[in-house]
Amino acid sequence: MKNRLREMRTARQWSQGELADRLGVSRQTIHAIETEKYDPSLPLAFKIGRLFEKPLEWIFVPDA
Amino acid sequence: MSSNPAPDRTPTQVDRSLVKRALRSFELNAWLAVTTATYLAALFLVRHHPEWRPGWKITWALTPILPGLFYLRNGLHLLRGLDELERRIQFEGWLFAALGTVIFSAVLNVFNLHGQGGNWLPHGLGVGETYLTMFIFWCVGVTIANRRYR
Repeated sequence: MKNRLREMRTARQWSQGELADRLGVSRQTIHAIETEKYDPSLPLAFKIGRLFEKPLEWIFVPDA
Repeated sequence: MSSNPAPDRTPTQVDRSLVKRALRSFELNAWLAVTTATYLAALFLVRHHPEWRPGWKITWALTPILPGLFYLRNGLHLLRGLDELERRIQFEGWLFAALGTVIFSAVLNVFNLHGQGGNWLPHGLGVGETYLTMFIFWCVGVTIANRRYR
């Protein structure tokens, strides 16, 4: 699944570690999501949506 | 720098969580050390006191289970503190360890069955060898999983 996490994070000038701390996950998790090696669980996806104040369908785009 | 509109966790909460996790990790290692020390002590005592009654020997031999249970409890607490990707990596590592040990044990038994095992583990894997094999496979499994999500 594609996502806009890196784009949103860099727009706020946050490092991966900073975002990880805010979401309560490891930096490795953020990196894996950004590089699309890992799809987050629904609770984490909602946390991301709430943090960036964006709808999930805008952040996460299913592969065609 | 833009401000965070709705931080899920404040920096103090993050620091506290890191300290808590480090303490849990230390406690886990401490219980492992206690379990190992108790196991070695029990092994020494049982071997050097053949005159003891069987009931007394069994009691001593089972003593390491007590610190082992504390180790297990702390391990579970630590596991609950992991985030979802770390938990997945651990799951993959344990799955790799379990399947790897079963396959290794089966292959070893086939060799032994046909008299090709030599003097190396002629009766297959014992309890100690099983733990060691699982640990080695777990290290490999966790390394592979970590590389996948790096």
